Amino acid sequence: MKRICSRVLTALLFLWITAASLLAAQVDSEELFRQANELQGGGDLAAAVQVLGRVPSPSAGGDEEDFVRSRMQIARIKFSMGEFDQAEGAAQEVLRLFPANSEALNFVASVKTEKKPRYVTFLDDCRRFLPHLFKGAGMTLLLMVCIMAISPLGGLLIALGRISHFPPLSACCWFIIWLFRGTPLLLQLFFIYYGLPSLGITLRPFTAAIIGLGLNYSAYLGEIIRGAILSIDHGQMEAAKALGMTYGQAMRRIIIPQTYKRLMPPVANEFIALIKDTALVSTIAMVELMRAADQMFNTYFNVTALILAAVIYLAFTTLFTFIFEKIEYRAGIYEHR
Amino acid sequence: MSTASAPLLRLEQITKQFKGVTAVDGVSLDVHPGEKLVIIGPSGSGKSTLLRTINFLEVIDEGRIWFEGRETGYVRRHGKPHLERQNVICPVRAEIGMVFQHFHLFPHLTVLGNVMEGPLTVQKKGKDEARETALAMLAKVGLSEKKDVYPATLSGGQKQRVAIARALAMRPKLMLFDEPTSALDPELVGEVFDTIHGLADEGMTMVIVTHHMGFARELADRVIFMEGGRFVVESTPAEFFSERLGNERIRSFLNRLI
Repeated sequence: MKRICSRVLTALLFLWITAASLLAAQVDSEELFRQANELQGGGDLAAAVQVLGRVPSPSAGGDEEDFVRSRMQIARIKFSMGEFDQAEGAAQEVLRLFPANSEALNFVASVKTEKKPRYVTFLDDCRRFLPHLFKGAGMTLLLMVCIMAISPLGGLLIALGRISHFPPLSACCWFIIWLFRGTPLLLQLFFIYYGLPSLGITLRPFTAAIIGLGLNYSAYLGEIIRGAILSIDHGQMEAAKALGMTYGQAMRRIIIPQTYKRLMPPVANEFIALIKDTALVSTIAMVELMRAADQMFNTYFNVTALILAAVIYLAFTTLFTFIFEKIEYRAGIYEHR
Repeated sequence: MSTASAPLLRLEQITKQFKGVTAVDGVSLDVHPGEKLVIIGPSGSGKSTLLRTINFLEVIDEGRIWFEGRETGYVRRHGKPHLERQNVICPVRAEIGMVFQHFHLFPHLTVLGNVMEGPLTVQKKGKDEARETALAMLAKVGLSEKKDVYPATLSGGQKQRVAIARALAMRPKLMLFDEPTSALDPELVGEVFDTIHGLADEGMTMVIVTHHMGFARELADRVIFMEGGRFVVESTPAEFFSERLGNERIRSFLNRLI
């Protein structure tokens, strides 16, 4: 009887201890989280980590959920402190017990990318964005070169028309300049691409871009070329005429060749502006450099795409500035003594 | 001098106005082949304007122009002359060489290129032929060694000699000189004067507008003193510079020059 009683008592004691310890553990966890949050809110992160570390692991009889919660909170605190190794360690602790925990898996992955040196991340971004950006840059380059070929010819025709003594022609050229210099390029592009279809003319984006940019730049270059022609000493035309040249021969052989040097600085200026104005055609469904960068930026929310696009634009403007300077030097070679 | 022959150039009652101001006032003039005519007069007397009407650089308001016995350059509508189209004008200009006060060389062409330009573009000659002509003309003005440089590197006197070669390369029948030495430094006048003198000796017909009395004295067959758009005196140089010529205006003009 006595033996039975002692056994029962022992069992009761055991149950009591177990119950008490279980109860104590539960109360402790809640208390620990509360304390930790208080400390974290007060800015004492190290102390908060220490408190959270006292939440027991399931092997020591702790609650699974509390354990995961505490270790992940440690991981986030360490991450915010920039201590990536310890942050990862906390997450790994969770993974050792629950290898499939998605929160911990994601966290480890993001710590891994964060732990990479900045330049490696940047190179990864470059590798990701550049192929698409280069494709866009190719279109930008194609547009530029086309306009650079077309607009001087258009400009020359407009300039010659403006200075002609045939009133309807000069009035017509005046009107073109007035119209295309007086309205925004963006509006012209919209009108040509979105507006003309309502008049029964539907253009492909590339055609619309070439027409819009071409007309606009021809108008600007027309005024520049006209100014350059008028700036040539009148004696040159007289000397050419005195030799027996026709107006056309004098223009072609004597006057226009002398304008090249004077044209280069303002034309280079216009063409540099053109390189950047090509970005406007991104609004009419053309994928060029600006549009490509925009797509990358909107997909990845990564500013590197925009920076890379800026660098490519700068490369273009630098290259063309250099080329224009060389041409200007060559065009004025006869003035060097 | 062959006054008996038909005139190469005939101007008849030429009048030219600029905005109501009469620059040339009913002037008539014959220039015979081989003749050297020098026109002098104060600034604004209309002498340059008159010279420039000869190759239609100035469009006349009244009058008629004959070149090689044919009336040329203008059609008459309501009795007024209207300049013809360039298919008529240009061939006449091609036969008349002109040298300007400020040279007007083509700065973007080499010296050789300047002299070749007329034969190449206007006469449509081949490159080799034009080059040969140009080299001969440069030799004539003594600038063969400068053929490959650009005009910017030349002195004023050299530029004017190139301009003369450029005009000569067209083998003109008449040469017009519009104050050819007025823009030159005094020490450079001589070389240009000598070049024109050499040309005169070859029998070139020329009309020279100048302030340089050497042309009038040494080179002219006939001297015209112009003032107010009219010919005041027309005489031989000997007569012109003699004391016997009793014109007050000429005497004071000459005195001011010397």
